Parts: sequence; C-alpha cells; structure tokens
Amino acid sequence: MDEEEHLHRFGTPLEPLEKDEVPAKKPVAIEDQIVKDENGKRRFHGAFTGGFSAGFWNTVGSLEGWTPQTFKSSRAEKATPRALQKPEDFMDKEDLGEFGIAPQGVRTRDEFAKEDEQEQRSGQRRRKLMQPELVGPIPGMPVLEQLLRPVRDKVAVRILKSMGWKPGQGVGPRQTRMEKRLATARNQREQYLLEHYGAEGLPSKSVTNEGHSSGGDEGDDDEDDEDITFAPDDYEPIFYTPKENRFGMSYSGLSRDPILSKSSSSSSATPMQHINLFGQLEAKARSKQLSIRGQAFGVGAFEEEDDDIYARDDMTRYDFSLADKKPKQKKQQHVQERHVIEGFSEDKSGAALQKPYSIDLPRDFQPRNWMQRKSRFAPMDKEQARKLETNTEYKRTGLGRHDLNPDQRARLLGEQKAEEKREEEPPKGNPFKDRGKSLLERINARTEGFTKGGVITESGEEQATEMAKEVRETNAVVQEKAALKTKDLVSPALSSGTFKPFLADEAKQLRYDKFVAANLKDDAAITEFLATLQPVTLSEWDREMEKKEFIQAAKIYRPLDGLMNDRFVSEATVQAEQVKEQQKAPEERTVVMERTKTMWKPASLLCKRYNIAEPFGGDLLEPEKELKAKPKISVFDYLETSVNTKANFQTPTIIPKHIEKPKPKEAEKPAPAPPAAVLEQEKPPQKEVEPVKSTFVPKTPLEQAVDESRNKPISEKVELFKSIFDDSDEEEETVKAALTNPVQDKLAALQEELGLPSSASTSAAAVNVLRNTSPPRGIFADFFKPADKQAPKEAAAPPKFAPIEGNKMKISFKSREERLRNDKELAEVPPEEVYGPKLPEAAPQKPVPPEDQAEASIDAKLQQLWQQHAPKKRKAEKWVEKKVISSSEDSEDSSSDDSSSSSSDSSAVSKAKRSKSSKAKKSHKNSTSKKSKKSKLKSKKKSKKSDRPKHKTKKKKSKH
Amino acid sequence: MPTFANFNVKTTIDCKQGAVRAVRYNVDGTYCLSCGSDKKIKLWNPGSGLLLKTYGGHADEVTDAAGSCESSYIVSASLDKSIIYWDVSTGTPVRRLRGHAGGVRCVCFNEDSSVAISGGRDNAVMCWDIRTRRLDPVQVMKEARDCITTVLTNENKIYAASLDGCVRTYDIRVGELTCDKVGEPITYLGQTRDEQCLVAGCQDSVVRLLDCETGGLLSEYKGHRGDDYHIECGILANDAHIVSGSSDGDALIWDLLEGKVLQRIRISDNGGVVHSLATHPKRQELLFARRRDMYVFSADLQIEVEQL
Repeated sequence: MDEEEHLHRFGTPLEPLEKDEVPAKKPVAIEDQIVKDENGKRRFHGAFTGGFSAGFWNTVGSLEGWTPQTFKSSRAEKATPRALQKPEDFMDKEDLGEFGIAPQGVRTRDEFAKEDEQEQRSGQRRRKLMQPELVGPIPGMPVLEQLLRPVRDKVAVRILKSMGWKPGQGVGPRQTRMEKRLATARNQREQYLLEHYGAEGLPSKSVTNEGHSSGGDEGDDDEDDEDITFAPDDYEPIFYTPKENRFGMSYSGLSRDPILSKSSSSSSATPMQHINLFGQLEAKARSKQLSIRGQAFGVGAFEEEDDDIYARDDMTRYDFSLADKKPKQKKQQHVQERHVIEGFSEDKSGAALQKPYSIDLPRDFQPRNWMQRKSRFAPMDKEQARKLETNTEYKRTGLGRHDLNPDQRARLLGEQKAEEKREEEPPKGNPFKDRGKSLLERINARTEGFTKGGVITESGEEQATEMAKEVRETNAVVQEKAALKTKDLVSPALSSGTFKPFLADEAKQLRYDKFVAANLKDDAAITEFLATLQPVTLSEWDREMEKKEFIQAAKIYRPLDGLMNDRFVSEATVQAEQVKEQQKAPEERTVVMERTKTMWKPASLLCKRYNIAEPFGGDLLEPEKELKAKPKISVFDYLETSVNTKANFQTPTIIPKHIEKPKPKEAEKPAPAPPAAVLEQEKPPQKEVEPVKSTFVPKTPLEQAVDESRNKPISEKVELFKSIFDDSDEEEETVKAALTNPVQDKLAALQEELGLPSSASTSAAAVNVLRNTSPPRGIFADFFKPADKQAPKEAAAPPKFAPIEGNKMKISFKSREERLRNDKELAEVPPEEVYGPKLPEAAPQKPVPPEDQAEASIDAKLQQLWQQHAPKKRKAEKWVEKKVISSSEDSEDSSSDDSSSSSSDSSAVSKAKRSKSSKAKKSHKNSTSKKSKKSKLKSKKKSKKSDRPKHKTKKKKSKH
Repeated sequence: MPTFANFNVKTTIDCKQGAVRAVRYNVDGTYCLSCGSDKKIKLWNPGSGLLLKTYGGHADEVTDAAGSCESSYIVSASLDKSIIYWDVSTGTPVRRLRGHAGGVRCVCFNEDSSVAISGGRDNAVMCWDIRTRRLDPVQVMKEARDCITTVLTNENKIYAASLDGCVRTYDIRVGELTCDKVGEPITYLGQTRDEQCLVAGCQDSVVRLLDCETGGLLSEYKGHRGDDYHIECGILANDAHIVSGSSDGDALIWDLLEGKVLQRIRISDNGGVVHSLATHPKRQELLFARRRDMYVFSADLQIEVEQL
C-alpha cells in the first residue's frame, strides 16, 4: 500500500476484466454499427432500401405494405380534397419526434433558449461524455435540477440583466438618493396629471402606485450619503395623446359616430355608447376622483355629483318609433339632397381633393407598362403596322391568288383562253330582241347580267348602276396593283416556260434556254444543235454530259401546263367517259365457255369417305405434299402464288464460261470409255428435267412422280427409281446406285459442268452452288463403282441385262466372320484410312498410268475431269476428309432403307478400321496425293474383283 | 313437261335474327334452316312457321348451313372462319373446324354426310372428315383465284363456284379437275336432280345453265337484277323450272328449256333484296330470304293435293 502512495497515475485505468469475460477482439466497425430507434427498428437504411424506415415495420414495398388510399366519397361524407394531405400523414411517429425528419412542436430557438436548456437540447450528451465521472450518489439526472426550472426570460430582459439590471429596477443611470427622490416626485406628479387630465385607460396605474409607495419607503432612509447611488425607479412612461378637439380639457362629448362603429375618435375619448356602458360604470365605481367625464344619460342614481349640466344629448340616440327607422329615411333624404346615388355617400374626408402628384415628362415620352410582357401577339407599333400593311396589301385583298386575273391564271395552268373558246361558239342572238318574252324569262336568260349587278329595265336594256361602275373601277385598280406585284412572280416562269436549273452557270443556262426553245426530240439533232452552242473548250465528254443533263432537266422541269395536265381532269371529260361506259354496257356480252382439265389427286381418305376407289390405284402422287408436313395452315399458304411453290420454281442454269472451253478436250477424254455407258448416265437426268419445263401439260404418272420425288427423303423414292430403271433392265447395282438421288443429281451436275450435252434446264438442285462438293465417299462412292464395272461389260455385250431379282438382299447380307476377315484385309491397306486436310502437294500429281486407264472406272475419270475443269473457286476449297465417324454417319443418313443394312455394315467396318488405325498410328505423311492413289488402289481392287466376283461389295466398302 | 302452277305465299316468318343470310331446306324438306347475321342458326318448321331450335356459337355472321342426310347434324359456315358441326337435338356444337384463312362462305355435306365441304373467301375449298375427330381438313383445293361462293357435291364430284368466273369440278373417281370458265363471277351454283346440268347465277344478272358433261353453255336466263349482291338461284324439284332471286325484291321463275319468265313473284313491295332461296327437294315449294324474313312459297295445286 505504501508503494502505491508513491506512484503517480496517469490516465484512467481500464475496468478490470472479469474471469469469464472474453474481451471482444475487434470493436464493431463503423459501417457495421446500426442505429436503432426506440422501437428497436433500424433507423437508417441504404439509399436503395428505402432511406428511412419506411412504413409500418418497413413494410412499404413489401407484399403487405402500404397501399394507396382508396377514394371514397358519399353525399354524407364528402371526400376531402387531396391538397389537404400533408407529408406528415405519411410519416411515422418517430419522424415527427425530436430526432425525426420533421420534428413538431413550437420551441424557442437555441439562441433565445436558456443556457441550460440549450445544453440539454444540444450538448446534453456532449456534456455527459465530457464528464463521465460526474456520478453522484444518486444515479441519473439530479432530481432537483429537473424540478427547479427557472422561468424563461425574454431576450431583452436577459440583455438588461447582463448589463446589470435587476428586476424591479428602473432603467437609466444610477442616481443618488437626492436625485432619486426628485425623480420619484416628478413621476408621481406626472402620473397624477395623466390620470386626471391625460389619456385614460392606462393599465399600469396600480404598478406606478406601488412604485410610488416603494419610493416612499426609501425616502425615510438617511439622505446624506452622496456616494451611494441607486438604480432609478421603475415607472411607466407616459404617452401623451394630441388633443384633436376644441372641447375643454379632458372633455369628450357624445360622439356623432354610429353606435357600433369604431372610429379613431372613439379610442381617444370614451364615447357614450351602450356597449361601453358597463366599462364606464366600472371605471367610475373604481375611481371616484374622475370628475371630468363625458356623460350621456345624465347622472345616475349612484352618482353624487350632478354637475353634468352641459352634457349635450344627441337626439339620434333615442328611438322614437318601434318599427320604422327614421334615421335611415332621413339619411336617404339627406343623400338625395346632395345628388348622390342611393347607397353611396359623399366622401367628407377631403382626400379626393388632394392634388395629384405630377412630374414633367419629356415631350416625346411614350408610356409603357414594363411589367406587361411584350410578345409577338402584342399590338404592333403604329409605324411598323403601317409598314407591314403596305407590304401585304395585296395579300389582304385575297391571299394573293385572287390578284391574278383569269387570263393570267389560265396562262399559268396552260389552259386555252376563255375568249378563244367563246369565239368558237356561235354568237347567240340577243335574248332581249324578242319582246314577246316576259320580264322573268328575260331575267332568267340573262342571269349572268343580273347577278353582276346590272339592272334590267322594263325595256330590256341593261343598265349598270353607279355602284357597279365604282366596283369595277376599284377592281381594276386592285387588279392593276396585283399585276404589278405578281409581275416578277409570274414572268420568269412564263418567259422561259421553265425553271432555271443551271442558274449557277449563266452560259449554261443560256444554252439550256435555247435548247428548251428549240424543243428538239431527236437525239442526233440535239447533239448537232448543242454543238453549235457549246464553246470549243468543252470536251467531248463534257458535251455529252451536258446534253444528258439538258434532256434530264427538260424532262424534270417540264412546263407547268404539262404538270397540271397530268394531275387534273375536267369534270366534263369524266362525265363523258361515264356516258361512254354506259353506252357500252348494254352491249351483249357473249360468254364463251372454256374448259380445261388437269390432273387432280383426291386424298385417299376423301376417296374412302366417298366410297370410291382411288384413281390410278392411288399411284398418282399428291401434288401438295407439304400440306401434310405442316398441319398448321398459315396465312402465307394463301398468299403464295403458284409461282412460289417449289415445284414450279426454276432456276436459270448458269454455266460458267470458262467451263465451256474444255468441251472439245472433254469430248476426247471419255472416248476411251465406251460411249454407251456415257449415254446411259446421261439419260436419267434428262428425264428428270423435262417435266419441269412443261407447267400445265398433263403429266404422265412417271413424270409427276419424278417431279415429286425431288423433295422427298430417299426412303420414299424407291418406287420411283424402280419405275425408272425397271424398264431399262439394268443390273441391280445400277438400281442401287440410282437409289441415292443426290448422287444422281451430282452426276448430272458433273456432266453439265463438263459441258456434256445435257438438258438446258436442269433442276435447281443440280446446279446448287452450295452443294457438297466433296469427293464421293461411302455409299456415294459406291455409286460410281458399278458404272465403271459395267462399262467394260457394256462395251462387249448388248445393253440388255436380265434383272436379277432379290439381289439386293444378297448384297446386304454378310456373315460376321466374313466381315471381320475383310476388315483384316483392309487393315493392310494403309493409305485410304488416312483422312485429314490435304497437305500441300510437294510432288506433282502422278499421271494415271495408261494401262490402268483402260480399266479405270468412270468414277476416277469423272473425278479427274472434275479436278481439271472445275471452276477455280471450287478448286480452292479443297475438301478435307473427315474422320471416319462423321462420313460414315453421313452416308447412313442419306442412304436409302434398302442400303441401310449395307451401310451399317460399312460403318461397322469403318469402326473396326478406326481402332486398328489408331493402333497403327498412321501418319499423314503417307498421303501425298490422295486422289491419284485412290484411283490406283481402285484399279488394283478391280483386278481383284474380277478374281473374286463374290466379294465385290466388300471391296467397295474397303475402298472407303 | 310438267305444267307450271303459280307460286303463292304460304308462310311468312320473321326470323328475328337480324338479316337472314341464307335459307336452306334439310334433306327431305320437312325442316328449314335460316342463317342470321346475329351469328345464330334457326331451325324452323316451314309449314307452320314454328321455331324449333336455335344454334348459337359462331363468332360472326353465319353464311351457310346444311343438314346431314339423317337430319341429326347440321354443319354451318361462318365469317368467323370456322365451320361448326352441330348436334340437331341438343343444339350443341360437336366440332368446330378451323382451317380457312378467311370467312367461310359455303358448306355442304356429301351424300352420306361423312365429309363436309366448305369454301371460303380464302379461295380454298376444304374437305373435312367429320366421322373422325380430326380437326384439319382432309384435303384442301386451292385452285380457285377468288372467293368460293358455292360448293356442291354428288356421288363422285365436288363442284366449286368461284367469283373468278370458274366452276371447278373435282372428279374424285377420275382424279381430274375440270375448270369451266364462264367469265362472269358466279355467285351461286345449283345442280339439277339428274346431275347433268349446273345452274350458275352470275354477277351480270344472268343465270346460266351449264352442261356438266361438255362444259357447254346450254341456256341463259335473264330478267332479274343482280347488282352487286350474291343472288342465289335454284332448280325446282321437277327439274323443269329455274328460280332466282333479284335485288329489286322479286323472284323469277323461268322455264328451263325455253328460258322465258313463267312467273315474277313479287315478294315485297317495299324493296329488299331476295338474295337467298332454297328449293324443296321434292315438292313445288320455295324458300326465300329477304331482309329479316323468310318466305315460304308454294304452288297451289300442290297444297290442294296435300290437303286431299
């Protein structure tokens, strides 16, 4: 303990930690602190969550939140207008509280509030914080402090207080006792005078009396002490009121004012009015010394004095009658005497007689109200208006257009002059010549003259009245003026007859004017004519251009009459046309019947419902297949014309020019191959194409079928191909090959591109530029095989072959072992498996060996030809052979159902191949020139094929 | 050659369904249908003028209606582009067939009422299989170049008259479409009972008799006024007289062979277009539609015979 006494302590010690308490490691960050109101609600929110707490428990915006007030109004309860709503209506209680956004309640401002109040309001917490230790024995605010609240003083009082003034004292320099006594005496005297003679009703009478008494008390004290000064006595200042009447001092008679009015005079002297009656009595009862008072009723019963003998009574105060008010009548009479309108009274104040204040204005001053907005709608300056008027006079007379006389108008419109027309008509005889007619008839005959203002006399003469003459004269004047005005407007258009398109270049404009004037039609003539005008400096080209421009301009800026002629048709011509039509109408229209017959395929269900066998045994292919495809009928089906249907669509064949060149070359090439084969290849596409040409000629079923099959999936085309190829009695391979229509299309396209004499109009698909131009693969590659195989055969044997029935099945079926074996064989053949982008060929293409060529397939040949003659664009996009999967799947997709088994076989094979190839890891290097190799391999295989005809299909697959 | 007896008015029915767009007999002529512009169809007894049933469900004016062969169903065409297949007894729509892209102008049943054929303003003729619940047409014939005004059918043919001036005959048996071009817009087409001829009411106020076999024009009947109305025409049950409405409130009956007007029936003196009519399938009886009314006309003799 002793040690502690010697130690000095700085700062305040932390509160000792209790054993269980774990100190919070981190104080709460500012941003994490939440301000809460007294209800525990969160007080402030982010700007995006509502700012202040919104609604009951922040429910505004929530599902059960605040809903707008519904408008309700009934006869009994009228809806209050919206304007009565205040923002406070939508606020919480807390918002109106001390710390809310709109605190309510009147309170003194801080600067006027008491110090401690201020502190309480603003600095309470600060003070507490500053004196945290100030904790007495009783916690909380001292009770006494709360109980004893000093009365609030006025600011002025506080100021006085700060200057040393104390309540009860007077204001002013301190006085010695002597001075003070004198002052009090003076005050008393003044007070007395005031009370007795001055203004009445001073409220501070009692106070002064008190002061007086207090002063009196002080007077008893010793008087010698000069040094002791006293604060002056407090006294009410005396207000003097000026005397406005000539009555005796402090006398006020009965006022002439009406009973209830409060005139200025009533304030100074208490009028004897019955309203003030009690006040008067009271006053009297209180202070009896008030002797000089105005009185009305004489002396009351309680009054001792009866000295009010001079009190004049006003007889108007007495009511002589019960009913009618005499004074009113009197007044009226009085008013009438003075020639004043009833209900008004003459002003007696004399204010009107005040001389108006006047200033000397500058002579040319024009008063203007500067507050008035000067807008364009304001009345104009006189001068300006006059100017404008003169400028627009012709407009005022009739918008300008009436200024033109009919002749001018006619000229503008390019019409014939009225006079000319009139001249054409035979002059009519004067209707007034025949006297036999009645006056009315005459008038009718000359209504024109009648309306003009002429007067028809009994004798039938027309006399223009003076008025008419005047009118005519003025008209003439106006017209003259208008003509002057519009002269510049009309003349340019009339003079040149056209607009001036080349005003920028004067010489050119001149030339143009001459050109227009010449009105040449012939092209050569124009050039000749212009050559005479055009300066030598102009080049040939410029001349040509100018000529073109002129012709163009002449066309565009046609004379006005031309323009107008196009736009207007006179009513007479319209009527004439109508009459013509009517005359024509009754003509007998002979109806010529026409009968056309076309094929039509009734729906099978329709036939069924009609109990009729389908025509052609249902073979007739439906013309509108697409309808089935989309059951929902769109409006566009109806909008489409027949041209838009696919069947009728024909793309013009475009044969690239550079393809045509190799024609002779190409003709030689296929020479080694037997021509019969080529012919055979050509046939089918020609067949296909023909029906497209003829649009409406009844088609044979076959043709229609072919036509139809174009858009069909291959699976549906089997019958078609059967029908096509059955009669030609080809081998089943051919049939199979033909199954794939795309291949056929392709062949046709190839032929076409090679310039073979194929049909002029190929189907659009055949020339499709976007078509896959990749070398045939998979089943497509198959297609080319039979052809080449067939070729040598056909060369030897006649083209007729006995159709082999059910051969397809044989082909498609193959035992698994066989397939596997095949695969193994294939594995030994490396280069075909290699797929991928074609490498840039280092070595030139190997020429096809001549001995191979003999037995080379047409496929190979075609491919070669393709390579040679294909357009360069196509050459550029060399095809990248994809890996096996995609290609095989492609082939599967496009293959027919007949060939699906075989193709699936092939895919299986290819899969097996792939696995092997991955093992062998063939590099791309091996494939230098794929195609040439391919053809080689093919030829090799062909030789094998001849050995083992049974396995030819296998070979085909292996090729892939 | 049957003698002609003048027609006299038998019953006048105020249909109370707005303007009557079409009047039709049922298959045996015992009932008749009136199609109103108030979107309703009413079934009447033409003899007594008794209203039997009202069929409501269309969304626009009903343009045509036809009863099935067993008189248990009605098919109706409306400008709301749909066709409704009604149950006669319950009055409920059994099926609503939508497929036309425009208002449907005409509708008919085939002989056994298994197929409904409709023609519309979308230039299409549609065949609807109403035996099944299939909602799309069995077949659509879009050869016409203008609004189809009438469709007719018999055992093996479908006739469609169009405003493009052609009568198209779809021969289901032969699988052939025959287009007979008249040249004038055809507003209505009737068929003789022997199915040899067609009566085509044309826009140029001429009724023309066409030969089905050759497509030739056999005769022309004039005297009425067509103006711009779709005036209907018909052949009386004896196949000897042709009747047509007129825009001046008359109806005319011609002799089929001679082409002369046998009777001009003055239906009303105060105007109104007689635009729709129906001929009784057996008797000498006619139905006319004029404004809001339906008129039943009958030849006197026939009534007497009946009464006897």
